[in-house]
Amino acid sequence: MPRISLKIVGASGQGINSIGAIIAKGLKRSGYCVFGYREYPSLIKGGHASYQLDVSNERICSTETKVNVLVALNHHGLELNMDELKQGGIVLHVTPGWQFPEHHQKLIAERSLRVIYFPVDDILNRLSAREILSNVLLTAFVWSMLDQDMDALKSLVGEKFAKKKALLDLNMRCIEEGYSFVDPEQGTISVALPPPDGAFASHLLITGSQAMGLGSVHAGVRLYAGYPMTPSSPLLSFIAELENKTHMVVKQAEDEITAAQIVSGAMYMGTRALTATSGVGFDLMSETLSLNAMIENPTVFVLAQRPGPATGLPTWTAQGGLLQAANCSAGEFTRCVIAVSSSQDAFDLMPVAFNLAEQYQISVVVLTDKQIAEALYTQHPYDLEKADIDRGRLVVDPEKLKALKSSDRFNPHAEGGVSLRWLPGSDAATYCAQADEHNAMGAVDESCFNTKLQMEKRLRKFHGLKAGLPAPRLHIGGRNTKTTDWIDTGDEIELLAIGWGSTGDVFQDVMCSDELRERKIAYLHYTYLWPLRTEELRRLAMRSKRIVLVEQNYQGQLGMLIRMECGLDIWDKILKYDGRPFFYDELLSSVMERCASTAETEQNVPDFVYAGTPS
Amino acid sequence: MNIALQTEYYTETKCIWCDGCGNYGIWTAVKYALVELNLHPWQVCLCYDVGCHGNGSDKIEGYRFHGLHGRVIPFAAGAKLANMKVPVIAFGGDGATFSEGIGHLIHGVRSNYPITFVLHNNTNYGLTTGQASSLTPQGQPMNTSPNGIPEHTLASMDLIFSLNPSFVARGFSGDIKLMTRILKAAIQHRGFAFVEMLQACPTYNHFATHEYLLDRYFDANADGHDPCDLQQARALATNVHDRIACGILYQREDIPHFHDRLVPRQGIETTCVEEVRRYDVSECWKELV
Repeated sequence: MPRISLKIVGASGQGINSIGAIIAKGLKRSGYCVFGYREYPSLIKGGHASYQLDVSNERICSTETKVNVLVALNHHGLELNMDELKQGGIVLHVTPGWQFPEHHQKLIAERSLRVIYFPVDDILNRLSAREILSNVLLTAFVWSMLDQDMDALKSLVGEKFAKKKALLDLNMRCIEEGYSFVDPEQGTISVALPPPDGAFASHLLITGSQAMGLGSVHAGVRLYAGYPMTPSSPLLSFIAELENKTHMVVKQAEDEITAAQIVSGAMYMGTRALTATSGVGFDLMSETLSLNAMIENPTVFVLAQRPGPATGLPTWTAQGGLLQAANCSAGEFTRCVIAVSSSQDAFDLMPVAFNLAEQYQISVVVLTDKQIAEALYTQHPYDLEKADIDRGRLVVDPEKLKALKSSDRFNPHAEGGVSLRWLPGSDAATYCAQADEHNAMGAVDESCFNTKLQMEKRLRKFHGLKAGLPAPRLHIGGRNTKTTDWIDTGDEIELLAIGWGSTGDVFQDVMCSDELRERKIAYLHYTYLWPLRTEELRRLAMRSKRIVLVEQNYQGQLGMLIRMECGLDIWDKILKYDGRPFFYDELLSSVMERCASTAETEQNVPDFVYAGTPS
Repeated sequence: MNIALQTEYYTETKCIWCDGCGNYGIWTAVKYALVELNLHPWQVCLCYDVGCHGNGSDKIEGYRFHGLHGRVIPFAAGAKLANMKVPVIAFGGDGATFSEGIGHLIHGVRSNYPITFVLHNNTNYGLTTGQASSLTPQGQPMNTSPNGIPEHTLASMDLIFSLNPSFVARGFSGDIKLMTRILKAAIQHRGFAFVEMLQACPTYNHFATHEYLLDRYFDANADGHDPCDLQQARALATNVHDRIACGILYQREDIPHFHDRLVPRQGIETTCVEEVRRYDVSECWKELV
């Protein structure tokens, strides 16, 4: 797969995001798949931030550590990011008279880098334009380096300023100036992109948070309550931006407890409502998770992960929240934990999460992370016909409502533990959603007989839920296959990797690499993390020469759950816990190391050794 | 009184409050108010916090919720915002409301959610066996504070009035007629109705007893108090040393409630509950292409 990467670096607030976003959109419209990745510290102005675009004419959803083009909006970029350039790379900077230190001069020579000084201040002065327009100048120059059509950029920028004529004219002049700039030393510079694929032009450029927001609206969410905390805040912001279109109730709550309670009250009343938070914010919501278990109130919580403990690394990524989601909160109860992995399932899984919550009258925790929440994906427009709205055993028919008894609500003998549910305001017998242990109608009942019966009712749901959850998705050498079709047939698997969340996309890019395209590598992706299905994994493990766990946490939390559920101990782990996502080239080399050592093992040990022993 | 309707609120669950507990009176007045407003149990949502009052959650009919300590206001607000057609009444004790849930109370009043909040004020944590609440008088020996509590007593009505409330009332558990009048007005009030019910706790509160309250309370409205008068209302509410003013102390009907202030909900006749369906979101992604 051909890949080109372009990285814009500078201080937060300098406009790296606006340059990145415009180039990304322009390239997508020209027929490229773009994957955008942001790094930034937790502050508003200053610091050192970056926006990287990885571009291909095939589907791409990962970031490389090495780049073809570095755009440095200040000299810190020249100090900090030079090592990241590939052979023949381009450095574009705006710092007048910059003298590279000796080791960088050596690097420039070794890697045949081309350095371009773009005299942004001179051009601004000439045009009597304010400093803010330097971003337009730079964007236009980068656009010309990419051999893209100037008019396409003009129409893109023009959309923003359609109603401000004076501003529009100045922007257009800046585009012309920037586009036509030629560096006197380097001459005309061109970055070769592969031939475009027009299909991408109609795609969306979307963050995981936006995808999740659209998925929520699609799923019928009518009330959103949240408290700002990165990386869940972009979802709150996006839902709020849409409120005049969706006519939803949006509430910025006074804390996470409030947000969770508002949402729970709204779900009890019978709408679909959502909240999202991160790390310690979810700690505050966990008492409400326990409450909803007892009153059998369907609820959905989004847990957007970032590295902890405590406030940790607010603007960086991690997958450290799996055990938190699966185990937090008082008492034993049935819950479901699922994880999104891309802009596709961030959308698709929201109706699924609400359906599961209502079918089983449980809480569903949807895991995402900073990488998914803020990465920019090139996304095929969503299929708006495939999702169902399944409200489970909700009674709404007036005749059926009339026939209800109060004791139907928490009937301990209900099939699968899922009793009938009906909504306040329905003309029917009433009940109490009771947080104390209660009988079938919600009256407090602490008798041993009732306690046992109700406990068993609530926990019985676990079995139905587990049996109904889809199997983990199996990907083989970049080709997506139905797990069931493939699981018992075919040859030995050279390497079986297991992962979840944002790891999945990067791993798929790695499997599509030229280096690994024909290898017998399988990747098993867990979307449904609790309850955890392990039968497919155990069968695949039997046929795999080597198994590796790939996670962005220190302990290998999915591995811990797997071991707890089926005894399979995956000793080989590719773990990352430095706040950064898996990068394409980094993960590729980790996987290749394992493939190489698998081959060695084969030569040295004639009898094939299983990596794990299923119990 | 609609006797037929009254019987709809009867339950088989027996009351388990102490003899002489103020909860009996408040419980009775709540039922009277609902019946006099001609509301059937299926038409109302009653949300209970944790405490002795919360043990009443299964002693009345209606769609009820009994939740976690201090959290009843946001739960009730969420329920109401989801279905504006159902009257929502939340109940909480002085322990939960002015300690664990004080943030929720402050933002509940500030947000002017269209709900009624009934404060069961027995001036202590009854259900956890008589600890001091933040409304217990300073120096009063209580369970866990044998030498009296060192903290200041929280000036609850000063706090409420500092938040620009739209409805403040006070009742006394010994006067069911007065409580019924207050509760009816509160339920019909446009925004957040804060109703304090002074009540005896015969087991743990030996300072503000039923007799103590009976001797001091009076119906300020009967004395000619105009609920529009903010200054007088605040003075009546906070000055409780000799006599305790009850009745509807303050009311503003011209202040829009939270839902009224939501721009996206203007002109929408349906409720969030009725609006649950699959939505076509292609309009929302146009700018992303």
